Parts: sequence; structure tokens; C-alpha cells
Amino acid sequence: MIEDYSKISPLRVLEKSSLKELGPGNLGVLMARAGVGKTACLIHIAFDKLIRREKLVHISLTDGPEKVASYYNVIFYDLVKALNIPYEQDLRVLMEQNRMILAYLNRSFKMERLRENLGNLVQFGGFTPQCLIVDGLEFLEAGRGIVEGFKSIAREFQAEVWFSAVTHRHIQEINDRGIPNPLHEMDDLFDIILQLQPDATGVHLNLLKDHDTYGTPVAGIRIDPSTFLATGREG
Amino acid sequence: MAEDIQNVRNIGISAHIDSGKTTLTERILYYTKRIHAVHEVKGKDGVGATMDSMELEKERGITISSAATHCEWKGHKINIIDTPGHVDFTIEVERALRVLDGSILVLCAVGGVQSQSITVDRQMNRYKVPRIAFVNKCDRSGADPYRVTRQLREKLNHNAVLMQIPIGLEADFDGMVDLVTMKALRFGGEFGDEIREEPIPEGLVAEAEAEREKLLDAASMFSDDLTEAILEERVTEDLVRAAVRKGTLLREMTPVFVGSAYKNRGVQPLLDGVAHFLPSPLDVENTALDLDREGLEISLSPDPDAPAVALAFKLEVSPYGQLTYLRVYQGSVAKGDDLINMRDRKKIKVGRLIRMHAEKMEDIPKAGAGDIVALFGVDCFSGDTFTDGRLNCSMTSIFVPEPVISLTVKAGDNKSEAGLAKALNRFIREDPTFRTHVDQETGQTIISGMGELHLDIYVERMRREFGVQLEVGMPEVAYREAISRKAEFNYTHKKQTGGAGQFGRVAGYMEPSQDGEYEFVNEVKGGAVPTEYIPAVDSGFRKCLAKGPMLGVEVLGMRVVVNDGQSHAVDSSELAFSTAAVGAFRQAYPKAAPIILEPIMKVAVECPSEYQGNVMASINQRRGTILSSAEDGVFTAVEAEVPLSEMFGYATTLRSLTQGKAEFTMEFAKYRRVPESIAEELKAKAADKKKGGHK
Repeated sequence: MIEDYSKISPLRVLEKSSLKELGPGNLGVLMARAGVGKTACLIHIAFDKLIRREKLVHISLTDGPEKVASYYNVIFYDLVKALNIPYEQDLRVLMEQNRMILAYLNRSFKMERLRENLGNLVQFGGFTPQCLIVDGLEFLEAGRGIVEGFKSIAREFQAEVWFSAVTHRHIQEINDRGIPNPLHEMDDLFDIILQLQPDATGVHLNLLKDHDTYGTPVAGIRIDPSTFLATGREG
Repeated sequence: MAEDIQNVRNIGISAHIDSGKTTLTERILYYTKRIHAVHEVKGKDGVGATMDSMELEKERGITISSAATHCEWKGHKINIIDTPGHVDFTIEVERALRVLDGSILVLCAVGGVQSQSITVDRQMNRYKVPRIAFVNKCDRSGADPYRVTRQLREKLNHNAVLMQIPIGLEADFDGMVDLVTMKALRFGGEFGDEIREEPIPEGLVAEAEAEREKLLDAASMFSDDLTEAILEERVTEDLVRAAVRKGTLLREMTPVFVGSAYKNRGVQPLLDGVAHFLPSPLDVENTALDLDREGLEISLSPDPDAPAVALAFKLEVSPYGQLTYLRVYQGSVAKGDDLINMRDRKKIKVGRLIRMHAEKMEDIPKAGAGDIVALFGVDCFSGDTFTDGRLNCSMTSIFVPEPVISLTVKAGDNKSEAGLAKALNRFIREDPTFRTHVDQETGQTIISGMGELHLDIYVERMRREFGVQLEVGMPEVAYREAISRKAEFNYTHKKQTGGAGQFGRVAGYMEPSQDGEYEFVNEVKGGAVPTEYIPAVDSGFRKCLAKGPMLGVEVLGMRVVVNDGQSHAVDSSELAFSTAAVGAFRQAYPKAAPIILEPIMKVAVECPSEYQGNVMASINQRRGTILSSAEDGVFTAVEAEVPLSEMFGYATTLRSLTQGKAEFTMEFAKYRRVPESIAEELKAKAADKKKGGHK
């Protein structure tokens, strides 16, 4: 299953990166305009980890656990179809046992609470996360401090952290390293920056930052706009 | 008559325990003049709220049995079913939702949308019940109806829209602004009987206007007329209400009311809301299964002259005898009529027709479609369908979950034995999730139900109501067996010596089924097994599934495919093929890697955030899987899946871990494989029991 999924996972884009992965203690981000499919793509990244039996915590800053779980269920069925899995139960068990959802409703998110929650999970829940998926963080509002907080958590728990970030059509700001708003003033904190870019021919997933290298040449893949899985063609 | 039905409202009041729904019901009865004084749950005056009809409920301050009651409000006939709040009794809620057309979802302004509200809401979705929300206890410290409305949107995905905003909160709560009339409502008199309509307090005008905008925005999605009226600035109250009603009936909008039943504020406007926004029986499509046409679904019409169809949804023992609550779906039922019970075809005569008000009653001559009434002395089960004989149909059954927990009960003396039998006989008629049987091997009487508290209540009732001296065993969970891989069989049953011979061969395979149900597939070609014997093969396998070889418990989720076999012109018979199937099962089962399954409960714990670690530890120690943890203000809700066998006594543990500040609910989620070490223990125990049984 791992090999099959590797061929269609959006994280195939990292095959061309220097470390071939984000790596523990590091931050990665998936940027796109609203409605392009960030959350779906982010959850595929989550499945990439789950299929490798990594423990994963999905941190939602807007939606409740039930809604997040329902996103996973939708993607789950896409995957069952795409991978032609005969006994889907095994994948479901894998997902349920290795994924944990932390939701912060009504603006209850605080970095200290997150640290405590993760600590409780490790100490009392017997669940040591290897990957954190953070959906719904408003980078403009959150500012550098919050991202630095995540960086410190990533190091403390030796976990990869993947974010989604919304770019806005009306804000064209891009820094001289090619990183658009809202990350243009904090791109140094991220180790991998990906961008989902729709155009007339489909959706492309481009690698904007690969650890210390910016704008890696020919480093993108095509994404199927209906499933958000890699199509197997170059971007 | 249609006009009459249009003004009938069959509503439930569902909520989290302690949200104040019994107090709310009491106030509704007071304002609709069905009672003349108000009491409280656990009332100091020792009377107790009128809707809590059982002694035990009064003592525990919780509502266990539904009691139906009737009242009238501004020309509307409202039938109310008070429903229990504890998850162990959800069959009561399920039953209520089956017969109701709409519901009030009561939420605590402090606690908000709690775990039980989520469970109840899920059940309402299953029965497609439109609802309005009432944010109660706005007078309590920490009350925040705005937060609760947001939670309705975020946690329950409701399009929740405030119909009112509170005037003051907590100790200063003093009425509300109606966003449709744009008037302030205040409540005077000893019990809030006198409603004063006043101009909106100056400090609230801007907020009221902003919230009204939101209401109009939401309502206009359901009415082009309203959209036009908004553009032309000629919005009327009727237009807004009609649009909100449409959205509510479609279950795409949930109007939210605020108040404090205890402080007598906001109940009358809520009743107006029931009349304005909840459906009448005419707005709801009800169906039955036509038994003359292989269960074809037919629509029932509220026409009073159509053949009568009614559903018995609740049995209750009253001081005057057994009461059967009926909802009439089609036609009418009058005193003196004959009705036929579709289950056993027995005829009953309608002696007295009663409209219930908790413990008091009112005789009525006739009940029409949409009415909820009670009959005296009818021998039936909860869920039975009655018709006047002109139709042969059955109402679709209420979803009844399988019991997950059992315990043994033994009468302490001879006198108690008769009482025990009487009690069990009554409970199984009242509650389809309560089951009882005698274990063939040990001769013990076993009762089964939906949870520890569920069975606790029945044990208490046996003692109190039936005076039974009872010895109660340890609770046991309902384990199941299943296979985990495909295995082939090819078995010949042959007995051809002396007398009539028996011959049958069946071949094929068994494998786990995807949906967890038993499936029998006939792929036999060329008549290797004659068609007339195929049902016998199926029945042979079914017989084996009732008692698995490992623990002697039911086998779940097996797909059996028979693709070959052989018959004998003289010696083959149904018995021979059924026996061959039993042999085939025994041959293949051990090769199909059988496993033991245990019931897994979905557990939701809510606690102040500082106890999150303790709660997680308690779940982890119980072999639980934590699914999520949601922070909302200072509260955390942890959701997990935990084996039922590990949940005994959890309420006590949780209390001590959190200084009594946490609460939990649980409901059956699924069956899951038990770990190998536990499976071995269970097998050894089953073997011991078998040995003991044979001694």
C-alpha cells in the first residue's frame, strides 16, 4: 500500500527535494488561494504519514472534530478507490488508531494549551505524534510569534509540522525569494514551502522552498483537480 | 378537520441532562393552564415536577420514562413528550422522535452544546425532526447564549439563527428583544404570567438591528417574497415568520430562543415559536409498510375518514392499570371502536380514550390523525401497529439497538420469583432494548440492556415496584465471534445404513463480509444442489452462526458462498442438506482464523481543561483510543472509543479524578477484535463454564 500511495501522494513533489522529506523538527506549508483544495491536499499529506504508520495529530483552529473527521472520511473513500484497496477496514483502522484530532473552537487556541495538550497526549494518552497537521491558521493575524511557537513545538516533540496558508488574489505581494503574502515576511521559519497553483491545464503543486534553496527549478507535479492526488506527470 | 390538524403540534423536548427541560415542561403546562402551580425537579416542596412520573425519577432528579401530555396555546393543540436525557435510555428518545413532528432542543446557556446534546441531535437527524432551540438558564452565572448559538453552528452544523437577544445576562437577565417584532419583552407577576411589550432599551438598539439583519439574511434564503420585501423595505412580521418556518421545516434553519424557565422568562415566546415554526402533522410525510404487497411503502394521509392506522409507542404502568400511548397517523379512533393489532391479529376494543397530562387524565370521545392519546388495559408491545381492519399494514419499526451488556438476576425467595417474572414480563413489553432470557446451560436468568445505568434502573424498579428480593450478578458484556479470512469447505453428510438414508454434499467458501452482516450466496450451477434444498443449506449455516464454536456467542459478519455440491435421488432431503451445512461450517470455521469481538463504546467526556490529562490517562488505562479533544473556552471535550468491558464503574473513577467536575456519555459504536491475551482468557473462561454446565 505504501508503494502504491507513494506514486499518487502529493508529497511526491518532495522526491526532487534535497532531503526527500520535510524532516522532524521542521515546518512545511501548503499555500493556495481559497477554494483551490488546500484542505484536501493537506489531508492527503496526512494520509501519506498515516499509511507509513506514523502517529499524527490534526490541529483544527476553526472546525470541530466531527467536521474534520468527515473531511478525512471523504478523502479516505477517494483513496480506497484510487488504490483499489480490497479490505478498506485495514486502512480505516490505521487511520483511526494513528490519528488524533485537536480542535480549538471559538478562538480558544493558545500556544501554551497546545503544548500542554500534546504533553498530555504523550504522557497520559500513550500517543507520541510524529507529524502535526495545522489547518485554519490565519498567518496575517497570527504573526511571526505563533509560527515561532510551532517551530519550538516541532523541535520539542521532534515532529514534522505541516500548515495550510491562504494566499489572496487581491494581495499580490511577493518577496524577492518568490514567496507570496502572507508568508513573505516569515519564510525563513519554514523548511518546505509548496504552492497549489490552478491554471487552464489543471492544478500544479510547486516547490517554492526546499530547505535552504528557493525556487528549485522544474520542481513541481500535476495534481488531479478532483481527487488532489498526483497524476504521475511532471508539473 | 384539516384546519384542526394544521394547528396540532406533536413536539418533544430533548436535551442534555440538567439543561432544565423538566422545569421548562412544567412552565409550559403552567402557562397553558394545565397546572395551577409550579414545582421544581427535586422540589423542596416534595411534590416534584409534574412530568416526572416515576418515584425513582423524582428521587434521582432525572427523567427516565417519557410521559406524554397535552396542552393548548393560542388555538394550537400541543402534545408534548418529555424525553430522558441520559444516553443509556436513548430508546425512549428514539421512540419519542419516531412519533413526533418537531422538537425543542433545550441547551444550557452556561454548559452549551454538551455531549448528550450531540447524541440527541444525531438521533433527531435520523428521524428528520425539525427543531427550534431554547437556550435556557440565561440567569445563571457564565450564561452566554451567543456562544451557545455559535456552538450550534460549529458543533452541530445547524444554521442557527437568533430570534431574540437577551436583555441583560446572569443575575441581570430581564427579558429579551424579539427580532421579528423588534419589541422588548419583560415578564411580571409571581410566575412571569404578565408579559409587557416595550420599546427596545436604548443600549440594545444597535445590537438588535444587527442581529435582525442576520435573521433577515438567513430567512431570505427561503423566500423570494421576503428578499423582495427587504429590497423594497416593506418587511412584515408574517413574511419573516413564513420564511423562517420554511427553513425550519426543511431542517436548514434552527431558530434560537433565549430565556430562563426557572425564572419564568421567555417560555411564552417559545410557545409562540412552537406554533409558528414547528410542523403540523400535515407538514410531515408518514409511511407504513403494506403487508399485502410485500412491505411496499405507502403514504399515510391525515384524512379522518381514511382507514385508521395508529402506532403504540409507549407502555406505562399507571396506578389505574397499563396505559398504552398511541399516535394516530391516519383516520380516527373513537371510544367503542375495534382495532386490530397487526402483530398478532388480535382485536381490541377501545374502552376509554385518554388524553394524558402526566399523572392526570382527561377522557375524550375521539382522536384524529396527528393526535397522541392513551388507551387503558390493552395487551400489546411497544411498537405494535393498530388498524381498524380496513388496511393490512405496519408502521416501520423504531430503530432498536442490540443490547451490549448483561447480568444475572436471581430471586431471593419464592415470593420474589413470581414478582421477578411479572416485572420482566412488563419490562420487555415497555422497552425493546431490555431483553431477558434463561441461560440453557446454567439455568440462570439473564437481563440485557444498553448500559450499566440502564440495567441499574430496572434492578431498582424490580426491588421497589415489584418488591422483589434480588441477587444481582456481575455485569457481562456481549462478546461476538467472527472470521478474519477466507476458508473453503467441501463436506458430505452421508448416512445410508439402515432406515431412510441421508445424503448431501456442499462445497464453497466462507469469508468476512464487508458490511458486517450475514450474507448467503448461491453460486451453484447445473443443479449440483437442487434449488429446493438451497434454503436448507442457508438455514444450516444460520443455525451455526447463533452459537460460535469458541465462546458460544453469535458469529457476526460472514459471507457464505456455496458453489458446488451433490445430491442423491432418494436419500437427499432438507434435513440432509441442513446437516451438511452444519458440517461444512465446522470444517471451515477453524481454518478461517476466527476471532473474538467486543463491543466498543463511543465515549465523550467533558471536563474543565485542567483535567484533560487525567481524563486521557483514564481512557488509556481502559484500552481506549482517543479520537479527539476539543477545547472551547475553559472546557475540553475528549472523545474516545473504549471497550465496554473496561467501562464498568467509570462514573465513579471520573468523579474522583476530576473532583466531580467532569461528565461523560457513551453509546455503542461497533464491535472490534479483542487483543490476543484477552481472547485466550475468554476462551478459557468459556471452556470452564462449559465444563461446569455439563457437571
